[in-house]
Amino acid sequence: MHAVKHTMILGMTAILMMLVSNVCLGAGIPDKVSISSIQKYYDPVSFNHAAHINNLKDCGLCHHHTTGAQVTDPNCARCHKNSGAQATVSCKGCHTADPFTPEALKQQRDQQPPIYHRDKPGLKAAYHASCLGCHQKMSGPTGCQDCHKRNDGGDALFKSGKYAPKAPAKPKAAHH
Amino acid sequence: MIERRDFLKGCLACGVTAATVSVAGTSAMAAGSFEGYPDAMGVLVDLTRCVGCRSCEAACNNEQKLPEPDLPFDDLSVFSEKRRTTEKAYTVVNEYKVADKDTLFRKIQCNHCTEPACLSSCFVNAYTKTKEGAVIYDASVCVGCRNCMIACPFNIPAYSYSSPLNPLVKKCIFCYDTRVKDGRPPACVEICPQQVMTFGRRSDLVKLGHDRIQANPGKYVDKLYGEKAVGGTSWMYLSSVDFDKVGLDGHIQNEPIISNVKDFLGFVPMVLSIWPALFTGVHLLATKNKDGHHDHEEGDHQ
Amino acid sequence: MKQFLARNPGTQIIDSLRKDNDKGRPWTLMEKIFLGLTPQQYVAQAMSNPLNWFFAVILLVGIPFIIARFFFGLSWAVGDPYDNAWGLFLGFGLFGMVPLSSSGFQLGSAVEVFGRHDFEPIERLGILNGILGYFFAVVFLMCDLGQPWRLIYPMFVSWGPEAVLFLVAWHVATYLSVQAAETSTAFFEWMGWPAGKTFIKKMALGLAVAGIILSTLHQGALGALSTYAPGKIHPLWYSASFQWLYFFVSSLPGGLCMVIVVSTISIKTMGWRCDDTFKNSLSKLQIALAKGASLGLITYLTIRLIGIAHDNKWAYLGTGWGAWWMFEIGFGVILSLVLLVTGVRNNSVTLVRLGAWTTILGVVLHRLNVYMFTFNWQNGHVHIPPFREIMITVTIYTIYIITYRAILYRWPILFKWKTRYSEYAVLDPEPVAIVEAEAARSK
Repeated sequence: MHAVKHTMILGMTAILMMLVSNVCLGAGIPDKVSISSIQKYYDPVSFNHAAHINNLKDCGLCHHHTTGAQVTDPNCARCHKNSGAQATVSCKGCHTADPFTPEALKQQRDQQPPIYHRDKPGLKAAYHASCLGCHQKMSGPTGCQDCHKRNDGGDALFKSGKYAPKAPAKPKAAHH
Repeated sequence: MIERRDFLKGCLACGVTAATVSVAGTSAMAAGSFEGYPDAMGVLVDLTRCVGCRSCEAACNNEQKLPEPDLPFDDLSVFSEKRRTTEKAYTVVNEYKVADKDTLFRKIQCNHCTEPACLSSCFVNAYTKTKEGAVIYDASVCVGCRNCMIACPFNIPAYSYSSPLNPLVKKCIFCYDTRVKDGRPPACVEICPQQVMTFGRRSDLVKLGHDRIQANPGKYVDKLYGEKAVGGTSWMYLSSVDFDKVGLDGHIQNEPIISNVKDFLGFVPMVLSIWPALFTGVHLLATKNKDGHHDHEEGDHQ
Repeated sequence: MKQFLARNPGTQIIDSLRKDNDKGRPWTLMEKIFLGLTPQQYVAQAMSNPLNWFFAVILLVGIPFIIARFFFGLSWAVGDPYDNAWGLFLGFGLFGMVPLSSSGFQLGSAVEVFGRHDFEPIERLGILNGILGYFFAVVFLMCDLGQPWRLIYPMFVSWGPEAVLFLVAWHVATYLSVQAAETSTAFFEWMGWPAGKTFIKKMALGLAVAGIILSTLHQGALGALSTYAPGKIHPLWYSASFQWLYFFVSSLPGGLCMVIVVSTISIKTMGWRCDDTFKNSLSKLQIALAKGASLGLITYLTIRLIGIAHDNKWAYLGTGWGAWWMFEIGFGVILSLVLLVTGVRNNSVTLVRLGAWTTILGVVLHRLNVYMFTFNWQNGHVHIPPFREIMITVTIYTIYIITYRAILYRWPILFKWKTRYSEYAVLDPEPVAIVEAEAARSK
């Protein structure tokens, strides 16, 4: 019973949202999101959520069916056509940061029913696929460091900046 | 009397020879249609996702403690030529300009075959296919014949030719020691921003690959490369264009490489068992009517 | 040496266990090593031979190269051939020399198994050619292996019995011992150890049969090794079903023709060392060998063509690689066949000798094509070995020739060793030492 009530409230919220305006700036919806899952190598991204909402207007582009927006993908629509807004909306709520740990793999394998959401990307890939895919289409920034600046740890990993190879080794060529 | 004794000695000599080498024939024949370990892990590579950032190369270099590269890993000028794996790089990303579609990138590394050619060609058994799916290498027994480099259908193993005292085969080992052994994904998979690579049980990945083809009509070529190639590989590929166009041999055989050698190996026990009797028999026939073969010999040389 | 003997016609070159004079005492080892010449005489005659100077230059340059290869690593000599892991050391040194050394088992089995005692004058040359070829193939292998000091690992440390190379390793090792035993008869005679020779002679048949088995298998195995690389070797040179047959069958004429070539060189350049039996029977024997070789070549040509037909690869003949294939077959097989057959029919030793040369070149070219030139042909370029690799290969081959010649000079290969008093020049009275020695042996 509780669930039904819950859904109804959410459904009504959704309808209200559409009525009021295309843009929803209600409580719980952050204006800025700090994304720092790979801060070992890159500075955190301060994601301007509000600006993206303003530009795109369609929450479903990033949040799939979870905000209750109209579902267009026919594959998703089979279940989520009228499933309405969900309690969990944030990316990291569904997309795990570590998708390939033995536990994550087991969970994925054991999920019921064993049909859908099996090919769900991890959090990092979800961000990149979502952001980069859209940026490519809409001519947004696409370079790695356009969004997140690489830090010292990243330079060390990429052997770049102050970690760059001293003298580009070319002695091998002499042997050929 | 002498003749018979010589004959027996002859047979004995052949028998001993046969015994020492027959091991080769029999066990080689035993190798057959191995379906792979049930819990072997694998990686599904989706070429449509790769953006050519080379993070995997950097992560591999770091994880495997490989020598410093010639150029930084964010230098994209390396795409001007097709590279292969070397003693300094267990994985490389190449760029493929595909006529009708745009650019595709493909990461190259050991594909960790179910029935590896490197393993079956190695005469000191330096390679092991672990139950986790990795093809690992025992540097302590390697003689350096480089037959594995000849045999690998993907031209993966490299050799540290420059080392005078301890040259070794250098190839991707699926981060076996540091990660896959404990169920964790290899470094390249973990760092990939695009999740080009999906790590999981190979048997699950085969299903996943086909599901992805089915769920995205028109996006992929209807083939999971590596599902069947050379007896199956742990690393498998999805592509939006023909695999030949991204540097993978689309016409590669489905049978494992060892199956090519079986014609010959099947012949080995036959020779070992039939030849001694056959040629000793021929000898008896050929020399039967000649007067005193051995006396003749003695007279000749003494 | 030839010139030296012309200038000093009275010199006795050692061909017997004991001296003709000096009470028939046995020659000392030093005397045997210098062939009965004084060391000064020996060095002088060696220096007067221009070929030795040529060899000296090669060794002076090449031996430091070989040392440097082990000092600085393989890449110093061969570069980093990741895609062409096997270069000249194996392509020529192992895959090229082993088929030309099949003479050991062929002549051994002709005499010992098939009872063709007419081949006896050339049997020892065939066997020596065999063991030297195998031995130097192993030397080449040692130069190519990354860690040659681990060569015994496949025997004692770690077994990979599934691998063709495992079979090759065991067979070549076993066969080297078989051939060493077969060759040792000449060595025992030279050293004056008759017991050793008698012991080996008793095993002759067994050794010969073992030789047939081991040779059939490892000559074929050298071809089977390339079936690991189906996509890399050009289709005209690759056939899963016939590959080992190509290698085995071509090794037969290869080995026989190598004996023709070596015996020709011997009789031309060291006639003083060949006895009359060898000299008088050589033409007849070479023609007999050529007969065998042409049978082998015909079979080889047939299976090479069947191999193309079997997989329907005719279309490749129209490509550049096709032209190269036709050159290999045309020069190495068909031309050789024509020369050998015409030589046999017209009893012409000259044609036979020419045909023997083209045959061995054809066999070596085939091996190089499989393992070097067409290897990874789809990469679009042919791997050309660097200078140092070529130099080291030439140097090792030179050492092979020098060793070969040194043995032919000394051991009774081309001539019969005289061990019995009756074979000596007139010596009266018969020395007591000889009487006692022969009495002891006849017991």
